[in-house]
Amino acid sequence: MQSPVGAAIIVHGTDEQRAHFLQRIADGTDVYCQGFAEPDHGSDLAGVETRGEVDADELVITGHKVWTSGADQANAIYVLCRTDANAPRYHNLSYVLLPLHENNIELRPLRVMSGASGYFEVLFDGARAPLSNVIGGLGNGWRVAMTTLEFERVGQSMARVLEYEREFWELVETARCYGRHQDPLVRQQLAWAYAQIQILRYSDLIQASQPRTWIDTFANEYHRRFGEIAVDILGADALVRPAQPEGYVPSGWQEVFLSSRADTITTGTREIQRTIIAERMLGLPAEP
Amino acid sequence: MPTGMVFTEEQEELRRTLRRFCESRSPSVEVRRLMQTTDGYNPQVWQQMASQLGLQGLAIPERYGGAGLGYIELAIALEEMGRALFCAPYFATVAMAANALVSSEDDDACAMYLPSIATGETIATLALAEDSGRWDEDGVSLTAQQSGSTWLLDGHKSFVVDGAIAHLLVVVAGTGSGVSLFAVEGEASGLTRTPLPTLDQTRKLARLEFARTPARLIGAEGAAGPGLSRTLDLTAIALAAEEVGGAQRCLDMSVDYAKVRYQFGRPIGSFQAIKHKCADMLLQVESARSAAQYAAQAVADGSPEVPAVASLAKATCSDAYFFAAAENIQIHGGIGFTWDHDAQLYFKRAKSSQLFLGDTAYHREHLAQRLGI
Repeated sequence: MQSPVGAAIIVHGTDEQRAHFLQRIADGTDVYCQGFAEPDHGSDLAGVETRGEVDADELVITGHKVWTSGADQANAIYVLCRTDANAPRYHNLSYVLLPLHENNIELRPLRVMSGASGYFEVLFDGARAPLSNVIGGLGNGWRVAMTTLEFERVGQSMARVLEYEREFWELVETARCYGRHQDPLVRQQLAWAYAQIQILRYSDLIQASQPRTWIDTFANEYHRRFGEIAVDILGADALVRPAQPEGYVPSGWQEVFLSSRADTITTGTREIQRTIIAERMLGLPAEP
Repeated sequence: MPTGMVFTEEQEELRRTLRRFCESRSPSVEVRRLMQTTDGYNPQVWQQMASQLGLQGLAIPERYGGAGLGYIELAIALEEMGRALFCAPYFATVAMAANALVSSEDDDACAMYLPSIATGETIATLALAEDSGRWDEDGVSLTAQQSGSTWLLDGHKSFVVDGAIAHLLVVVAGTGSGVSLFAVEGEASGLTRTPLPTLDQTRKLARLEFARTPARLIGAEGAAGPGLSRTLDLTAIALAAEEVGGAQRCLDMSVDYAKVRYQFGRPIGSFQAIKHKCADMLLQVESARSAAQYAAQAVADGSPEVPAVASLAKATCSDAYFFAAAENIQIHGGIGFTWDHDAQLYFKRAKSSQLFLGDTAYHREHLAQRLGI
């Protein structure tokens, strides 16, 4: 089961919550999207300002989430919200599951630089969920959110290597078609790219049980660079999009080039990842 | 595809033993003493390595007097030696000459030379590159001519690791029908050995001149190509392991220093600029470790991936080591570029290793060719 919210429910939910929500996820009744980041809180996720107010046996959500993918396919959303105005940071948040439809929730497609609309803004104006939908209890949302993010990262790894390999050999073919495979610089770049993919594969074999933060950021940075190499091989042809009557639809390699800029941002920016690596893996002191 | 890439308890114990051995026999002060000497090693320690730890014979087949362990064990030993900048003719003898002999598939030559390499009596090396600085058979201009039952070599070799002290030189020469391997005694007539003043003083290089120097043919005449190619792959993988050890040491030095060095009233390791440098180093070191370990495993498994993985590992580990060694100096600030701080020793070793056996561009091109691009 590749469900980050499912993992969070397994780890932090009550028996009743596990019985109720996991079954609905497993049989496809509920499809979740994520409500974590906000316009003012990306890397600083713990500072989210979406409010959750207790009203009798319900939680009432008001606020603005962004970077929610798959909201058009979902019927439910897990939200990190602030439920205590006075508690200290990391202890003032709750993690709640909400029905997405007919619940005072508005979805607005968010168009990214590739022209696609894979993300949504989600606006909550008094959306409601029973308190029994709060996972981990009021005030414990941060831990539950961390479990969700960890699981989200782990789920990606093996499929990622296969996809990168497929993409790599396709680029080799493209280079051949353009006659660029004889260019010494292109050959260096392709060999470098191949080496990065293999290192990812080796690392999955060798370091499966070790902290993976470095592998994920390594992969994301590789893929961003790969996108650049791809359009460089196309040369002047990368200047022009395929003919389309309307809209902005890039070619395959243009799409990789444009969308891979998100790779070093969406699951935690590469800078945040470096701070995590330095503090957790190398034991360097936190910011004062 | 290699599987089960987890170290066994015996391999972990070997690493701990090597770590302790290098820490006691090769502290910085001893590295600095030996690097000033011409021979560059301590004969007593060299004998202990053979008699107490069996290091020289680690990967030599049992029928030739070795322990018959695999390349993973050899990689562990080299990684620990690289970490300590251990000064000894180990790389030349084991990673270069012994691999060349085994890869030659000449049983008589193996039976003649490998047992005394395993016991530590024979220091050996491989003499391939010449003044042109190429580590491939196309760069060989030294010639061999048959004279009765022996062969005579004429020409030169350069960048020969521990070439001035080796008892046995495995020399690559052309005979008109391709390249061949020859065994030359260190004290052979017509051989002039000149130590080279090296950028990295912890690894000794020599230039050798041959004038009608007697030699023994190893393997069949003109047939050394495939064995040499295999040797270069194995040597590159050995160097990659050594480089990982050095790179990890640079990261450790940087992290340790960043925790205790205070500026502006706080440890410099609490500044993001330093944290992110250390994280960059970790990314490079860990990816290099994966490449080197996978490559050693590929050798152990007899995998057909070895030629591609060798160049992949050499390029990756060389670049990682140089990056880590350079950042280590930067993180140490002023003290980092002094003579007395060890950062400079690793920096010089890193650049020398990167250029030795072919630079990164050379190995990436090799990899591209081996992928059929």
